[in-house]
Parts: sequence; structure tokens; C-alpha cells
Amino acid sequence: MISVGARAATGRKRGRKRSPKPIEVQFRTIVSPHQLNSRWGRRIYWLVLAAVLVTFTLAFVFPLYWMVTGALKTPEELAQMPPTLVPAEPSTDAFFEAWDLFDIGTLLANTAYYSLGGWVVCMAVDVSAAYALSKLRPMFGNVILGMMLATLMIPAMVVLIPLYVTVVDLGLLNNPWALWLPAAANGFNIFLLKRFFDSIPRELIEAAQIDGAGPVRILRSVVLPISRPILGVVSIFTIVTSFKDFVWPLLVMTDSDRMTISVGLSQTAGAVTQNQIMGGLLITSIPMIIVFFIFQRHIMAGLTAGSIKG
Amino acid sequence: MQILRRNLTAYGFLCAALACFTVFAWYPMVREFILSFQKTDLINEPIWAGLDNFKTAFLDPAFGEAWLNTLEFTLLALLCGYAVPFVVALVLNELRHARAYLRFVVYLPVMLPPIVAVLLFRWFYDPGPGLFNQVLDVLGLPPLAWLDSSSTALISLVIVSTWMNMGSATLIYLAALQNIPPELYEAAELDGAGIWKRIRHVTIPQTRLILLLMLMLQIVATMQVFIEPYMLTGGGPENATVTVAYLMFQNAFTLQDYGSAGALGMMLMIVLLVFAAFQLRLTREDKA
Amino acid sequence: MQRSTGLSLVTVLALATTAACGSGEPAAPAASGGAKAVSITVACQPAKSAPKERQAWDDDVATFMKDHPGVTVKSTDQQPCFDPKTFGPKLAGGQMETAFVVPVTNYNDVIAKGQALDITPYTSAVKNWNDLRADHKELLTKDGKVYGVPNVHYSVGLVYNRALFTKAGLDPNTPPKTWAEVREAAKKIAGLGAGHVGFGEYSGGNTGGWHFTQAIYGRGGSILTPDDKKAAFNSPEGKAVLQTLHDMRWTDNSMGTKLLVGWESLMVAMGSGKVGMMLGAPDVVTDVVNKFKGNVADYGITGFPEAKASLSGGEAFMINPKATPEEAKAALEWIDFRFNTVGKGRFDFARGKSIGNPVGVPDNAVFGDSPTGQAIQADRVKNASLPVENYDSYVQAAGTIPPKAEPVHAQELYAILDVPMSGVLSRKEANIDQLLADAETKANSVLAAKG
Repeated sequence: MISVGARAATGRKRGRKRSPKPIEVQFRTIVSPHQLNSRWGRRIYWLVLAAVLVTFTLAFVFPLYWMVTGALKTPEELAQMPPTLVPAEPSTDAFFEAWDLFDIGTLLANTAYYSLGGWVVCMAVDVSAAYALSKLRPMFGNVILGMMLATLMIPAMVVLIPLYVTVVDLGLLNNPWALWLPAAANGFNIFLLKRFFDSIPRELIEAAQIDGAGPVRILRSVVLPISRPILGVVSIFTIVTSFKDFVWPLLVMTDSDRMTISVGLSQTAGAVTQNQIMGGLLITSIPMIIVFFIFQRHIMAGLTAGSIKG
Repeated sequence: MQILRRNLTAYGFLCAALACFTVFAWYPMVREFILSFQKTDLINEPIWAGLDNFKTAFLDPAFGEAWLNTLEFTLLALLCGYAVPFVVALVLNELRHARAYLRFVVYLPVMLPPIVAVLLFRWFYDPGPGLFNQVLDVLGLPPLAWLDSSSTALISLVIVSTWMNMGSATLIYLAALQNIPPELYEAAELDGAGIWKRIRHVTIPQTRLILLLMLMLQIVATMQVFIEPYMLTGGGPENATVTVAYLMFQNAFTLQDYGSAGALGMMLMIVLLVFAAFQLRLTREDKA
Repeated sequence: MQRSTGLSLVTVLALATTAACGSGEPAAPAASGGAKAVSITVACQPAKSAPKERQAWDDDVATFMKDHPGVTVKSTDQQPCFDPKTFGPKLAGGQMETAFVVPVTNYNDVIAKGQALDITPYTSAVKNWNDLRADHKELLTKDGKVYGVPNVHYSVGLVYNRALFTKAGLDPNTPPKTWAEVREAAKKIAGLGAGHVGFGEYSGGNTGGWHFTQAIYGRGGSILTPDDKKAAFNSPEGKAVLQTLHDMRWTDNSMGTKLLVGWESLMVAMGSGKVGMMLGAPDVVTDVVNKFKGNVADYGITGFPEAKASLSGGEAFMINPKATPEEAKAALEWIDFRFNTVGKGRFDFARGKSIGNPVGVPDNAVFGDSPTGQAIQADRVKNASLPVENYDSYVQAAGTIPPKAEPVHAQELYAILDVPMSGVLSRKEANIDQLLADAETKANSVLAAKG
């Protein structure tokens, strides 16, 4: 569905001519400003814009609207064909029922604890490793970095079974460390951090050394303050990833009072009504949507920070 | 002495990461190898099993189907998850209005936990009051069976997967597109290149590296498709949605046959490594 | 929530180098003096979605702990309490409860892998041990050692929605006895309008294969040859099973349009009151009412249509192999109290009636016709909240139809049999002979590989 709209949109873009109210162009792209501001160009542009807006809203916002209104409807209304666009008698009961049935309070608290704890562990481990590799330059540093990066070639799912067996051997099942420690072994984070640390001018570090600062002090009072942007990006991605994770917590956090929200929803979703499921899904989505609203800039910057040059 | 001290401090900083990587990243790769030659049930001591696990995996009734499905899923996902975001990014890059909104919206599903997307779509796919069939009905089209037919189940999974993942690819492409020097387009235009030629001769070559990288990432991602078949179809109907990752999970956690699951993991790892090597060569050639 | 804080990055280093293994569970906190403190975890606490049932359970736990000073009982409420997804990981990871439930399908596997404790020395803790069905105890015995306490035993019948029968103009007191009648009834119920399903059936998540087995047994067929070496389901009986389903789905249009994957899917549908019939044991009625909000009086059960044999199903309690003797003993005492005492725990029918349970459903024949079984039945009838005659035809049939056990390697075979089941239910043009032949080939190769 998504694809059709998008393709049709490109197909329609052709020849453009001058016009009285020019479309502002800050940067040059495939279509030249000249073409864009031709008479036909403008017409087509507005048409495409409208089509894209409608398609995107339908494809990405409407499903969420459907989720929200689904939670506000009664099960009978949900089973109705054709469905109602707006709930006939909106009721928030489903949210409270879902809260109790799924035990969302516990699940959310668990998930928040795992995410934040994982963040602390991950940052502690990865920042110090990146610092060592970038600024202290030990022997075999590049070999180590290479081996860390090599793990990125092997996706998590492929080593799921041996990792699981290892965690079982260590007796870490139903223990948050089983989530935190594997997450800390993140080559990509170390790579990003190291690359940023590499760009910190040597003079700054040397100046601090002359002042008699040891490596810990330098990390704390020189490197970290400069690295705020990259730390922010790495932090957000670490937290969001662990909040979203499914398979691994499904395996290692099996007690019903230690499950993450994703796993908890998957376990109970079969036994409750559709509006309660939607209520549960909405409550689950809210924290991530809030995070997205607040940190939108960081997230979008972070997306491109690593991948473009990587 | 100085060098020794520097190294000691450095390794002091590195030790936590080294421990994490050793135990939870490097060792599991080795363990996978060991596991695939052992009979393990985690309760008793593992027994050497030779090639038995590989035999079990090969003889698994769903083995062939799982690989075919994974391949098909990967191809479909390449079409949907690889080409579509690129085209979308191309269009978005041309637009001068509502850019922030469009970027926000396309990335929104990526922020949601996959379980939300999957359970939401499970409801949309409901053959009765589900949203999709109701929309088809409004449009005067016949209903589809979506997840409930072996001919549409896999593509239905690809749709969910595309919906929840395409945002990040789109934004990455978008950033790459914005990095293309405008002079190139102007030069091409002076040479009389039309829109299509500009895309072919400027845009694509300029984004070649990122396209290659994303191709690799996309393949790696689809190779591990799990939550979609696990939550939506249980591998059915008629094994139409059994993927290798799903089969591996089933072997390990429904049948407690960790050995043959490990063997499947090994095969998947080898396939991916071959792919990675191939990709590396392509990129190298490109740089040379 | 318990959080282990003992670990830190430093100890991880140590773990890495020494590969030390430890149990994830912290030791039981010391209870008050007197008897030696024992802490056990027990599975199957009713979910929060069934608050009254859960309260009854919690009351039982309190009573038990009062009667057994020093014993601490912790409950887990995973639903369903046997979940194939987490069963393996939990068991393998030593996270299993002290007393956990295993369905009959998995007995052989669990016992063979040493994942259950030999409880031969403790069976005396279950006072009515001798009255439990001998044939079921046999399934739990290997080399003269006992590995579990039978908890539920049933044979399969036809569960039907009496209210829908009435609505469709059928007589709920004369439920279908033949497959032809089942088809007719299903057609009428499906005719009630959108969303109504005459006959519900599974097609995936290993439940499809499981119900195929129920159906083929009922018709007198078999899954395996008597020596368990070859598949035997590519037979006229197997074909009839699939043909009937195919015709109901595509000719009569009486099976709805949705494929049902996994145990809960059909139970939810049944509980919503829009499904007319399904294959199932009386425990389906109990579950539909307790967990899926079905209306108690709506559900009846009758004998399997044209039954020649009936798949016997059920579950048993097993004990964690890592349990200490004290824990094992305490767990068995709990099992005895809650699950095996006339008038107590789950057999406290007076309480069941007062909290709205469907009392009167003959949902458990684990004590068979023994004195205990009769006492339970008498008690059940006395407190029945339902017209017990709704289930008479099932009880009579269950008494006369010979039980038949599940095939070996049941899970592997069920996964294979999911394919023909989903085939006939999802494709109108499905070729039944081909589906069965393919499944047979697959099953034979699996059986050959398993030796």
C-alpha cells in the first residue's frame, strides 16, 4: 500500500515552469528550481505533496488512530461490520481492564528498570572501552576493535541458542544481568564513541595531563563533557533498543512478575478481548512516543551519524 | 615502564568490555560450533554427536521450506524494505513542505515495540471485522485471507515488517541524498539529462555506498525474521511462513533439541558470513 | 520483585575465567523456628483475569501453609500453566517451579531427559494415590520409577454450545451422533449470521496435529503402526477426517474464515459464544467459562461422533529434579491437599459453586471409578450448579469407548500434521491425498531419524 502511493508519486513528477508565487528552494535536488517553479511543475508539486501527505497519514498515523479508537470501543462494536470510524460510546474501561489483566504496572516498571539499568551498564562498559581504544591506545587495540566490530556481522538471532545456553550455564535466568551484559557487548556503540573520541584534539588531553590529571580525571572532565552529543545519541538508542527487545527477554525473563512489557503482552494477548489488547498496546506505546517527541532531533541525527560513514 | 603502565591502565578500562564480549559475543560463536556437534539438553552432560545434529536438521520436514521461505521473505523484503524506502526518500527529498511532519510520521512505527506493530496488524488482518478486509469491502474488492492462506501469509508478514522498519532506512537514505553536491545535478542538467537520467547517473552512483551497506543490513535483518511468524502465523498455514530463525527457535525451545538448533544457527551464520565477504568485496572494489 | 544484586562487572570477569556455575535462585529465607523451613514454588495459580478462582487458590495456599508450619508456598500464574514456549527454557534453565504441570504429550520427553524427579519414595504423601487411574500412572512410570502425579485425565468428546443450538432450531438435548449430523448442525449454526461458526477447528501451532489425532482415533484410525516405526495416518480414516473438514469449510461454509492457530484462539472463539461445536474434553467447558468468559449454562458435551476410540489426554504434576527431599515432600503434600483430596482444594465443589464455577462438568476422570472417584462424583453432583444431565451422554460414552494414548514423538508428529490440517482449512483446491502422502513421507523420515 505504502509502496503504491510512493511510486505513483515519483511517476507523476515531470517538467516544471515559472510561476508568480515561487516555491522556496533552499537546496538543490534532482528536480531543478527552474522546473519546479514552472506552471506545470507547481501543479504537479502540490499534487504530489498532497498525495504523499495523505498516503503517509493513512499508512502511519491511521493505524495508530485505529488502535486508540479500538481501545475505546466495546468488544461488540469492534466485531461490527462495517466498523465504525468513531467509537459510538467511547469508554476508557478497556485501559483499566488492560492495566489489571496484563499487570501493566509491574511490566512497565520491570521494563523501565531493565532499560535504565542496561543503559548505565552499557555506558559504563562502552565508554571506558572506547576511551581506552581511542586515547590510551593499548597494544593490540586495533585487533580488539576489529574483533568487536566483527560481532556486528553476526546478528543476534544467529547466536541466540549458544548465548542462551551460556546464560543458562551462568545461572543468570530471570536475572536482569542476563539482559544487561550481552547488551553491553555492543561493537557499534564502541565504534561510534571511539570515532568521536578520536576527533577530540590531542592538545586538550595533553594540557590536562600537564595539569597532573590521571586517565580517569581526563575521561570525566575533558572527554565526557565534549562528547555530550554522541553520548546522547548512544544513550537514546541503547534505551530504545532495550525497551523494544523481544526475543531475548522472552527467553531469559520468564517469571510472570519479571517479564518485560513486550513479552507480557505476547503471553496474555490470547486470553483477553480485542479492545483490551488495544488498550494494552496503547499504554505500551506511550513511553516510546513521548521519548520520540522529546528526543526527535537526537534520534534522527543519530540514525545518520553512524550509518553514513560506517 | 611507561609503555607497560599505559597498557595496564588501558586494559583496566577495557576489562569490562572484554569480559562482556568474551562471554556474551565471542564465546557464543565458538559455542555455536561446539553445540552443533553435541547432544545437549542442559540437564545432563553434553554428548559428542558428530554430524547427527546436521542430519536431524536436514531431515526436518520443514528444513527445505524454511530456507525457501527465508529466501522468499528476503527477496520480498528487499523489494518492499529496500526499494520502497529509497523511492520514498527520493520523493521526500523533493518536497519543500511538511518535511518535519513526514519524517516524524515515517519514523514513528520504528519507535514502537515490535509487539505493538505485530498485534495491531494481527487485528487488521482478521478476515472478518479486520481493518484491511473492511477497506477492501468499501472499495468493492473481494476480501483476502491475509495470514490464513499459504499464498498471502508470507507477503502479509513482509508488510508488517516493512511498516515497522522502513522508517530508519528512509531517513538514512534521505540524509545520504542531502549529502549529494548540488553541482552534480546542475552539471547533469547542463548536459541535458532529464529527471530519470539524473537519478541514474547522479543520485544512484552518489549513494552507492550507502545503498550497498543498507542492502547488507537488510539481508541480515530479514535473515533473522522471527517475531512476525512467531506471533502471527505459528509458521503456518502449511509451513508457508516457517523461517530458518523460527525453525531454530522451535527446535530449541519446543523440542528442546539445542543441538540441531545450533546446527541451523551454524548454517545461517555461514550463509551470512559468505554474504558479508561478498559485500566487503563489492565495497572494496568501489573504493579502489 | 527480587533482584539479584550480588553480581557486578568484576564478578563477571571471574565468571568468565572460572566459568562458575550457580543456581539463579537465591536460597529460601529462613522462616520462623520449629519445623525446618522449606520454600516451594508451585505452578498453575489462576490468572488475574479470573479473580475469584485466584482468590480460592490463595485461600488454599494460606490454609496449606497454616497446616504445614515452616513450608512457604509461592505460586506462579503463567497462563496457560503449561506453555510450550517457556516450558523448555524454564526447565532447561533450572527456573521451573518445584511442582510443575506437564501435559501427557510431553511425559516421555521430560522423563527421558531427566527433567523430572523420581518421586517413588514420596507417593505416600498423596493419600489417595492408589485410587488414581492405573493406566495413567503407567504413563508416568519408567523402569519401575514414578515421575509424576496424574492430575487430569479425560477422553475427547464433542463440546457444543447449547444456546446456539436452540437459536439455530436444533435440539440441544439430542446433540449430533454422527459426522453427517455434525455437518448439518454446523451448517444451521453458521446460518445464524455473520461471525457465527458451526464447527471450530485448529490448524497450527501443533494443535492442528493434536486435533487431527483426536479425530482419526475417533474414526478408528491410528497415527503410527503398532510398532511405532511407521506412519499410519495416510489411511481411509485420515482421509475421511480431512475430507469432512474440507467439505465443512468450503462446501458448507460452516467453519468461519479465520484460521485458528494455538490453543487459546479456539477457546476465545468458543467463549465468545459464536462457535457451535468443537472437539474437546470437558475441561474445555471449564476453561471456556473460567478463563474465556463463556456463559456456564451454554455449554454441553457429548460423546465423540461415531467413536471407535478416544485420545486420552491430561496432565500430571512433576517435581523439579533439583528439589531437595524436603521440598519434594512439601510439594507433594501441596499436590495432595489442593488436587487430590475429596472436598478440598479443586474438589471443594461447594466453594466452586459459590464463586460461579461450572460445577457438575465431569471434567476430570483422574480417579476413574475408584472409591475416591465415586466420592468426588457424588460430591460434584450434590453441589452441581448445572444440569448434570447436559453431560450424561459424554459420561456414558466415555465409559464405553476405549481410550488410546498419544503417539510417540507427539510434538514432532503434530507439527507435521499441522500442515494437512491448515491445508484443507486454507485452500479450497487442497489435494487431500497429496497432503497426507507428503505428511506420511515426512513422518517416516522423522521416525527413521529418531530410531
